[in-house]
Amino acid sequence: MPSPSHTRRAHRTGSALFTTRMLAAALSATALFACVVAGCGREAPFPSRPVVLICPWSAGGGTDRVARHLAARLEGELGVPVNVVNATGGAGVTGHTRGMLARPNGYTLCLATAELNMLHWRGLTNITYRDFQPLMLVNRDDAALFVRADGPWASLAELEAAVRGAPGTLRASGTAHGGIWHVSLVGWLATAGLDAADMIWISINGAAPSLQELMAGGVDVVCCSLPEAQSLLDAGRIRCLGLMAAERLASYPAVPTLKEQGEDWAMGTWRGLMLPKGVSPARLNRLAEAVASVATSDEYLGFMARSGFNPAAEPADRFEASLAALDVRFGEILKSEAFQEGQAQRFGPMFFPWVLGALLAVNLIVLIAARTLRRGADAERVTRQGLARIALVCGAVVAYIALAEWLGFLLTAGVLLFVLLWRFGVRWYTAAAVSVVLVVCVYQVFAVYLRVPLPAGWWGG
Amino acid sequence: MAESIQQACIQVFCSPTVWMVIVLSAVYGVFVGAIPGLTATMAVALFVPLAYWLEPIPALAAVVTMEACAIFAGDIPNTLLRIPGTPASAAYADDAYAFTRRGEPNRPLGVCLVFSVVGGLFGAAVLMIVGRQLASVATWFSVAEYFWLYLLGLSCAVVVSRGSTLHATLGLLLGLLFSTVGLSAVHAQARFTFGRPELFQGINFIPAMIGLFGVSEVLRNMLSLDQAPAGASAASPKGPAGGRLGLGRFIADSLVGVAGPALALLMRRKRHFLRSGAIGSLVGMLPGAGADIGAWVSLAASKRFSAKAETHEGGALEGIGDASASNSAALAATWIPALVFGIPGDSITAIVIGVLLMKNVRPGPEIFEKQPVLVYSIYLVFVLANLVLIPIGLAAIKLGGYVVRAPRRVLLPAILLFCVVGAYAINASYFDVWVMLGMGVLGFLLERWQIPLGPVVLGIILGGPLEERFIQTLTGSKGSLTAFVDRPISAVLAVVCIGLWVSALLWGRLRRAK
Repeated sequence: MPSPSHTRRAHRTGSALFTTRMLAAALSATALFACVVAGCGREAPFPSRPVVLICPWSAGGGTDRVARHLAARLEGELGVPVNVVNATGGAGVTGHTRGMLARPNGYTLCLATAELNMLHWRGLTNITYRDFQPLMLVNRDDAALFVRADGPWASLAELEAAVRGAPGTLRASGTAHGGIWHVSLVGWLATAGLDAADMIWISINGAAPSLQELMAGGVDVVCCSLPEAQSLLDAGRIRCLGLMAAERLASYPAVPTLKEQGEDWAMGTWRGLMLPKGVSPARLNRLAEAVASVATSDEYLGFMARSGFNPAAEPADRFEASLAALDVRFGEILKSEAFQEGQAQRFGPMFFPWVLGALLAVNLIVLIAARTLRRGADAERVTRQGLARIALVCGAVVAYIALAEWLGFLLTAGVLLFVLLWRFGVRWYTAAAVSVVLVVCVYQVFAVYLRVPLPAGWWGG
Repeated sequence: MAESIQQACIQVFCSPTVWMVIVLSAVYGVFVGAIPGLTATMAVALFVPLAYWLEPIPALAAVVTMEACAIFAGDIPNTLLRIPGTPASAAYADDAYAFTRRGEPNRPLGVCLVFSVVGGLFGAAVLMIVGRQLASVATWFSVAEYFWLYLLGLSCAVVVSRGSTLHATLGLLLGLLFSTVGLSAVHAQARFTFGRPELFQGINFIPAMIGLFGVSEVLRNMLSLDQAPAGASAASPKGPAGGRLGLGRFIADSLVGVAGPALALLMRRKRHFLRSGAIGSLVGMLPGAGADIGAWVSLAASKRFSAKAETHEGGALEGIGDASASNSAALAATWIPALVFGIPGDSITAIVIGVLLMKNVRPGPEIFEKQPVLVYSIYLVFVLANLVLIPIGLAAIKLGGYVVRAPRRVLLPAILLFCVVGAYAINASYFDVWVMLGMGVLGFLLERWQIPLGPVVLGIILGGPLEERFIQTLTGSKGSLTAFVDRPISAVLAVVCIGLWVSALLWGRLRRAK
């Protein structure tokens, strides 16, 4: 149903019609050709298209930094782009789940972190390290205890005495409840013969805000890795009481270990590359070679040293063995009675939603009672045609979600866009030209220039 | 010191690499910022592997420029299509889009550009002159103060919304409830996930924002697609339609038509501008608060103290200017805790710290003694980036004008395509596309029921942190409510917050009584 104005314009630009139609045909041909070429790539040697590296944590964090550096180096080794995707949320559940569920074709890697060994013990997921094919461990950072430099405790023994003297009053943080630094702290308390509940753990997401809270006086102790606290440590604002490692770090020779101070406890986080189970041995070997040469290169070691990370390269078999050992250890701590008790919280997870729900109910009652909850005066009238168009738009989005993974972005988006334009009364050749040009441009910009992954579809292998 | 400044000038102004990097990053920053769904953080993160091959000063220059340009560019889709590029621009999405519907998108865009540039320069000046001294302000803020700060930001979102306070509150509460879906950050326990792993990640605010504003607007237009667009040539911007693309013409048009009126507005509102800049800088330097809260608080201050009625279009432009200035001023301020304590103010400065470490520069108080040239260079780059933004921003406004001239029946499906791609891009997840669609329908319905969308978005963004600070404060005090007010700053913030609510509710009653 072309509108009058549209028809008028079509007449006026009659001479341009022919060229529009030609343009549409030419572009469609180009797009088809591109599809065929992409399809032909299927038999090419591995890897022949961009590799995705899933980072379970957000852009800007430590894991993201390591992931992006690895990606840049791997690109040189593999000869194809390696794109980092931040699949964040759910305390790491989202990213690890996506890494495990990815098609085992070697084109999706996951930079797993210590949480992989912890989430399943806390009942947040069923995924364990056994669901992955380990590729290589690339980094290991040990936990350490920090207090304010102007605080009353100069040594680990003094802090321990303070906890013993007034159990359940000192506040500590470093990460969220049940996170790696929380477990590290609880492990230290247990080694010292104390109870998990003898210190209050305040659940703060991340080491940086915890350190800030330490400076603001909201917590007394922070447990996190040394590099995370480096700036404040160097500035003399905080003091490190001990490192939870087997021996001192070469980059921090002045920091004593817990073991030297009579408490045999070591714990820390790690990062390692993993694949979903089921990748063919040939592809696995190709990736393992590339990763090994990156993880032992001078550039990588230099980057890690400068960024304050502790490089650690362990090949697949050793990596898997240490994963198994760690998993047992985390199970012992996270399932222990002491930890479970410490975790019982007075203000449970439903407290805040209940408060909000109550407020919402009150608000709704007031609004309804005052009869002010009604349609605005300037709201458009709902017509049957309008509703049909709304349904069409929603249907197009649903169809995109359902089809894009199988047909790929170009085909799905192109066809749906064409249908929408055509149903809105745009002439078919104009609709075709607009669809092809827009979809190809969007693909080029997002997937090629900006490295934002778009659904590849069945010809992606 | 003079010597370091001189050296910094040489390193910044006399280096062709730095100039080239700044111009390229400005174009890239504007481009990425203008695409809904792509954020400044993403732009900077994508650049990190390249930073490896650059010297420290060009690398930082690139980050600063991208950040400054992307934040402004977020205003372009916000004004033209009502899809906010950043949460900060969501504060004035409706106000700015109203101009586009009347066919004058260049007025709010000019104001956004000029106020962003001058606000950015103000922020740079704050960073330069008092950054070091102000750094310790961040160490006065414990979780209780943050709780009030977040609540203040949310309250401002209610206050600035058009219509009744109760309607806006309903929107806010809905947003806050949405934020509780997924894994609770503070308890690490799943809520409202119905056993589905996709719901663990919760509702990401970017697809939600695209849906609430962008998709709902597409749906609303579906009802009126047959009617002649309101205001005749609907979105075609004022000025010479189909004018030649001459450079001289472009410069003349831009300076007279876009930047001129905005500059005049700035001249009239120097005091208000200083207030917005100061709010932006203060809020920006608190890690985790950032530009979003700054923009909403400034807008609230602007609307509260504005003599003109809030429906007056001049008043709308003033609010847009104040909010833009404030969110740009906040950017430079986020570098203060990052440089002095190595504590990132937002996700971009977190990346900056990574880049600094990669270049063997360690943030901390001694950076000012050990690397003065680098620090002064950063200051200079902030100034330069904001100046480069002027021509590139004007060009972007000009190009954006062509987009909205397309007929609606072509434009609307294209917008939908960008919404889908943008929602998918942030996490490469179809769940986010579902969220976008659901929020689109919800936004459409809410608007029909006269419930503003800004508070819903801010509720989704700040709900998580608000709950965290709330529970953290209670855990630390073993359940005693006095912990919220027993520190001087938290007491002051509490009084401001409560005062705001009391005045907002009374104000509505008074207006109705009239």
